[in-house]
Amino acid sequence: MDTNLSSGALVTPLRKDDQAEMDIPAGYGKTESFLLPKDPAWLFLFWEITVETFDCIRSQYGEDTLRSARTVIRLHDVTDLPLFDGTNDVCHYDLPVIFEARSWYINAPQSGRSYIADLGYITADGRFILVSRSNMTALPPGRISDVIDDKWMIVEGDFQKLLRLSGADYIGMGASERMQVLGQRWKLTELTSSGAPSSWSSFALHLDKVEEEEDIWLKADCEIIIYGSASKNAIVSINGKDIELKEGKFSIRQHLPAGSVVDLPIHARNAKGDKTRHINIKALREQGK
Amino acid sequence: MGQEKGYLALVLHAHLPFIKHPEYPDFLEEDWFYEAMVETYIPLLNVFENLTEEGTDFRLTMTLTPPLCNMMEDPLLIERFRQYLNRRVELSQKELNRTQGTEFEGVARMYFNKFRRYQDLFESRYHGHVLEGFKKFQDMGKLEIITCCATHGYLPLMVHKESVNAQIKIAAHDYRSRFGKSPRGIWLAECAYNPGDDKFLRAEGIRFFFTEAHGILHGTPRPKYGIYAPVYCPQTGVAAFARDMESAQQVWSAETGYPGDPRYREFYRDLGYDLDYDYIKPYLHSDGVRRNIGMKYHKITGKVALNQKQAYDPYAAREVAAQHAGNFMFNRQKQIEYLSTIIDRKPLVVSMYDAELYGHWWYEGIDFLEYLFKKIYYDQDEIKLITPSEYLEMYPQNQVVQPSMSSWGDKGYHDVWLNSGNDWIYRHLIKASERMMELANKFPNAEGLLRRALNQLARELVLMQSSDWAFLMTTGTAKEYSTKRTKDHIKRFNELYEQVQGNRIQEGYVYELEQKDSIFQQIDYNVYASGAKEAVLQKYQ
Repeated sequence: MDTNLSSGALVTPLRKDDQAEMDIPAGYGKTESFLLPKDPAWLFLFWEITVETFDCIRSQYGEDTLRSARTVIRLHDVTDLPLFDGTNDVCHYDLPVIFEARSWYINAPQSGRSYIADLGYITADGRFILVSRSNMTALPPGRISDVIDDKWMIVEGDFQKLLRLSGADYIGMGASERMQVLGQRWKLTELTSSGAPSSWSSFALHLDKVEEEEDIWLKADCEIIIYGSASKNAIVSINGKDIELKEGKFSIRQHLPAGSVVDLPIHARNAKGDKTRHINIKALREQGK
Repeated sequence: MGQEKGYLALVLHAHLPFIKHPEYPDFLEEDWFYEAMVETYIPLLNVFENLTEEGTDFRLTMTLTPPLCNMMEDPLLIERFRQYLNRRVELSQKELNRTQGTEFEGVARMYFNKFRRYQDLFESRYHGHVLEGFKKFQDMGKLEIITCCATHGYLPLMVHKESVNAQIKIAAHDYRSRFGKSPRGIWLAECAYNPGDDKFLRAEGIRFFFTEAHGILHGTPRPKYGIYAPVYCPQTGVAAFARDMESAQQVWSAETGYPGDPRYREFYRDLGYDLDYDYIKPYLHSDGVRRNIGMKYHKITGKVALNQKQAYDPYAAREVAAQHAGNFMFNRQKQIEYLSTIIDRKPLVVSMYDAELYGHWWYEGIDFLEYLFKKIYYDQDEIKLITPSEYLEMYPQNQVVQPSMSSWGDKGYHDVWLNSGNDWIYRHLIKASERMMELANKFPNAEGLLRRALNQLARELVLMQSSDWAFLMTTGTAKEYSTKRTKDHIKRFNELYEQVQGNRIQEGYVYELEQKDSIFQQIDYNVYASGAKEAVLQKYQ
């Protein structure tokens, strides 16, 4: 079988596709980053940083400064800002990152806000060195608005009834069934297709080719996310610190450095303090070898 | 306004990605189009014809997406579909003899009659152009045809608004060329709405779109009528209608949905596998591999193995479809009756489905719709079918609410189109979009070969933006094809971009791509110029 065939091709093509054997580029030779929304709690950042950019930063700040610096995503909350100048954010959060990863899913601290992500270094003396700034992305609120329209008032009880009728309790659910059905439909074709050449199947695996002669390296970092829910009247604390519940749900993110053990006891109590519940979470990260 | 207590807007979203492979004499994935034609699109037209002939009035809103319209009007695909349909007629005719005196006689007769009827409609009434049929019912005021993003592009994941603008402009232009007027409504691909994108709709004269329920429920301020009335977007006044979950579940639910009834047709038992190889071979693809051919003689029967399925009875199945239509109507009556005790206007229930569910997946879904239209028209006067345009004429005053970002995908946002299995595509989609803008700004008045190259670049860009590819990568079905399609368009785009930038455009290469990726013959690359987007944004500041 001709190696140019796609999954659906049944016989030799009438014309040869000259591009079929080429791969798509790993990057485009420009330092830049883009921030996309995923859902009310998550953002996706991807980037490319060129050798020239690294050289430029290195010559400006010195090899030693960079070696002792941490690489981070600085996530700026820029909600309602007409123009972000790098310093006038509402607040920002630093997340450890590995530049070589080229993309990262970011758990946003708050839904319904607008964000810009900076990739950069934090030096040992606390300075921030910018490598790339993303576009701005706004996240959806993920909940019923608190804003009430004077001209379009409705009795609260009726509004709650309407919400239930509107399916507010199962937002986003049920779609998976639809997807399964649609997915199965395509599957019929795929299952019985004539089969694809192996050169195509393994295509996706070597997008980022590593030179074979090179010494191998490995970098990884870790954050843990604790999430859960509790009855709405409960006061919840993690590691002794009270946390805010949003519609009975909570989520916190914590860095887990190499060679550390983190204890995260979760406590819930009622207002009187006479009823309590406990869950203990312990995480261990060994030193790399 | 009449006696009715409220309204039902039925919306069917008909869409397939643009799949056409002139470089192969026979291509498997093209079957998606042929199957949908013979199982959904033409059967729907048949229902409209029947209803109109017998004097039953009805209202339906349908998306015919631009890729689908382009395929329906493509000479090569029309010719290939003609052959596909002819082979079905031929086989079903042979089957009349083979099944004579067996329990399959009735179902064989059903296929023969249907295929003959569809062939007659396709050839004699629409002369190979089914859009003629859809346009006819739109002109009669029974069907409201809406458009969609040019290639079903997923707008909230487009960083450059130039690309959003282009997806809308190209779609509206395509619609005008086919239906002789501007689209009043749009189905945003995957119902994915991003606040502010309504500006680009308004600029094309589009007055409404649809969202998933929480698009409005999570809007600001609180929507007074929940999802049972549309809201207007601030600044633009474009109306957003939200999807009713209750009626959606009745059809979609795997547990309780109608399509699972044991008397309905079994999807997985197919003649392509059942019949003698030599007998069925002429009706298989050229490689001779056994596959589904769309003729199925068994009913779901129950939770039994495929070889335990019993013979399908078309008359019994039609009866069930009629019962289900009655049940659906009854539930809408109750729903609307209850809603009208809570809200101070006639409630509107918007039931939205993929069109291909009806007929292709749920075979009797077509009968269900026909019965539903009849029952609503003849058997009651509590609810009335309506199109969004008619509703807006009746209720021009609506609350101003900024809808929330949302989609109708799993979990309600962008997970299906942005996850670790497909997130690699955005690096390339966004870069291609940026490069397209760069070229459009650089060559505002291109002519000749340069113009052809720039227009083809625009085609490659919109084709790689089809949300279908990311969707299929996530479901894991047709993953190879969708990955290859994405990469092909990226490669073609980048190659042509280099040729344009290097002032070394190869006419042969442009020609080849024009033949393969022939969507939007009238495309104008200037839609990507930054001025076009800025003009829209300034107008609706």
